[in-house]
Amino acid sequence: MKRKRSVVTSSPRVRDPYLGPLRLGLRRPRTRPQAAASGSPAASSGWPGAVSGESGLPAASEADARTGGRAVPAARPEIVDLSVDLAPRRPGRLVLQNPVMVASGTFGYGIEYGEVVDVERLGAICCKGTTLKPRLGNPPPRVTETPAGMLNSIGLQNPGVDAVIERYAPLWAGWQVPVIVNVAGESIDDYAGVVRKLDGVPGVAGIELNISCPNVGRGGLQFAVDRDAAAAVTAAVREATDLPLLVKLSPNVTDIRPIAQAIEAAGADALTAINTLSGIAIDRRTRKPLLGNVYGGLSGPAIRPVALRIVYEVAQAVDIPVVAIGGVSSLEDALDYFAAGAVAVQVGTAIFADPEVPLRIVDELRAYCAERGLASHLPLVGTALPARPNRPSSKGVEYRP
Amino acid sequence: MRLLDAELVETREILPRQWLQRYRAPWLAAGARAGQFVHVRTPDYSGLVLRRPFSINTVDRVASEITLHFRTAGKGTELLAHARPGDTVPMLGPLGRPFEVDPRTHHVLLIAGGLGIAGLRALIDESLAAGRQVTVLFGAASAGDVYPSSLLPDEVEYVVATEDGSLGQAGLVTDLVPAYEAWADQAFACGPRPMLAALAALARGRQARMGVARLGRKRGGGKPVPLGSPQARRRSWLQVSLEQHMGCAVGACLGCVVWGIEGPVRVCREGPVFAAEEIAWEESV
Repeated sequence: MKRKRSVVTSSPRVRDPYLGPLRLGLRRPRTRPQAAASGSPAASSGWPGAVSGESGLPAASEADARTGGRAVPAARPEIVDLSVDLAPRRPGRLVLQNPVMVASGTFGYGIEYGEVVDVERLGAICCKGTTLKPRLGNPPPRVTETPAGMLNSIGLQNPGVDAVIERYAPLWAGWQVPVIVNVAGESIDDYAGVVRKLDGVPGVAGIELNISCPNVGRGGLQFAVDRDAAAAVTAAVREATDLPLLVKLSPNVTDIRPIAQAIEAAGADALTAINTLSGIAIDRRTRKPLLGNVYGGLSGPAIRPVALRIVYEVAQAVDIPVVAIGGVSSLEDALDYFAAGAVAVQVGTAIFADPEVPLRIVDELRAYCAERGLASHLPLVGTALPARPNRPSSKGVEYRP
Repeated sequence: MRLLDAELVETREILPRQWLQRYRAPWLAAGARAGQFVHVRTPDYSGLVLRRPFSINTVDRVASEITLHFRTAGKGTELLAHARPGDTVPMLGPLGRPFEVDPRTHHVLLIAGGLGIAGLRALIDESLAAGRQVTVLFGAASAGDVYPSSLLPDEVEYVVATEDGSLGQAGLVTDLVPAYEAWADQAFACGPRPMLAALAALARGRQARMGVARLGRKRGGGKPVPLGSPQARRRSWLQVSLEQHMGCAVGACLGCVVWGIEGPVRVCREGPVFAAEEIAWEESV
């Protein structure tokens, strides 16, 4: 149960006059989550389950079981508190208003979709991978559709950290939605250098370390597949900044758990799982590799089972929050990831088909929680995990035939 | 740019495996310009994760309708071809930058390779409405693939070249261009990349020969304009509409880039129309 306690909402639990005797511990609408990061959420709720000392989670599942999950009358959706703290070690520094983020590389710098999506309602935006120097990226073609997914090999095209700070950070500073800068590099010095520049820049709410980009020759993936290298780069970045730090894991490894634990120990605030799976496509006309870079990263619904498995494993191996990413395109997908232990999800490829997917998931999740009388989505987190903490083994054989 | 549901009004196969579909889409019809495109969601939402970009073929502002012209090349277009009148198709658009026609241009030369006509078709209507003379050079493999002249306005001069000589002049469409080069004030092309590369080489040669005679010399001729700006494109003799595998179509994913002479450019955002001199043609893709 220790693991679950690390995931708490940072919002006041006040009695809602409309709910009367139910006392579901819902927060008042329109309260800024950051306003009340302190204090024991459970203490003031008076909710029988909450007094047991566990914050929200067991209490709610208990209530859920007691009432069959349905008997609790529906609450109004607008009083469901979907906020989630992605950096519990730095309370209040990275509190998302909802657990639906947009994935790095699929949403640019947050402005490209501005005409069709209300970005301010997103949980958070992960911007395009940013490197120390500008990068031109890989030769085209860079994307192609595959069964239930797509391959991309952008190759971290970006204008460099200085241009990002100059062009986009001032915009972000005016937004309510936190922008997490995805950082990539070829060496530990690269990573630390980028992060040092981003440290203290208004508008930068956090860092997501991309140690797992499969589309660049050097750097990137090599950090993600080696436990010591992953820990070293995380530690170096941790030293360079006090910003909330997420580290994005690669699925292209034998056993993810020791790597996740090493990254946690090195000071990461949260983990993102997963990056794309490495793959290639053949041009049927020329019988040659289709992508200019030959290799690409597979994303979309095709990788969802793999991502679910990795989230499931990582959530059991670490005590820090896990953000799930991999083929999320509907509320059901998000709920699957919550069940597997993720506190938040990132939507990526699905945005290309329908840019409104992230906000639709937010609305549907709110309605879903309200319908079941849940004060927050957090009671849904980790329901698929084994009851007893299943400490990871290095065997890594139980899920592979 | 807007997300909208377009209602299919009419669909027909104008050539083998090539479809012309008429959609009721007031927002698109009101705002779209020649050269722009729409990003169309295919009816299968589970397996096909990407939208499909299509040039806006024609725009009817009065009827609030647009047409799309496409070839069935895979599952997505196959499903779209099977849509029935009354079906709604989600679209995102209008996207990209339009063709830039100089106000002083009188003679417009359009060079289409096969389905490339879909990228130029709206420009025919726009140019005629502006009182310009239009010549369309069309190239195809054989007579069976030639765009029917009945779908073109009467005012257009329509010249066809087929590779097997089954209709019009035998050979490539690029062979027709020199005869019209001096006549044309501006040229616009859409088609396979080798064709566009050949035309770009021709345009470079033309500029070297004609030099000062090119448009834009008189007004602010000496002032440099940034590459890729509307002004620069208006001064360019040849503009091309490019195709590329596309992800988001709004400039976020950087998936649809081609190499420009100053680095990668996004077909969805800086394009799909480019001045020929903006593109690094020697690069393979």
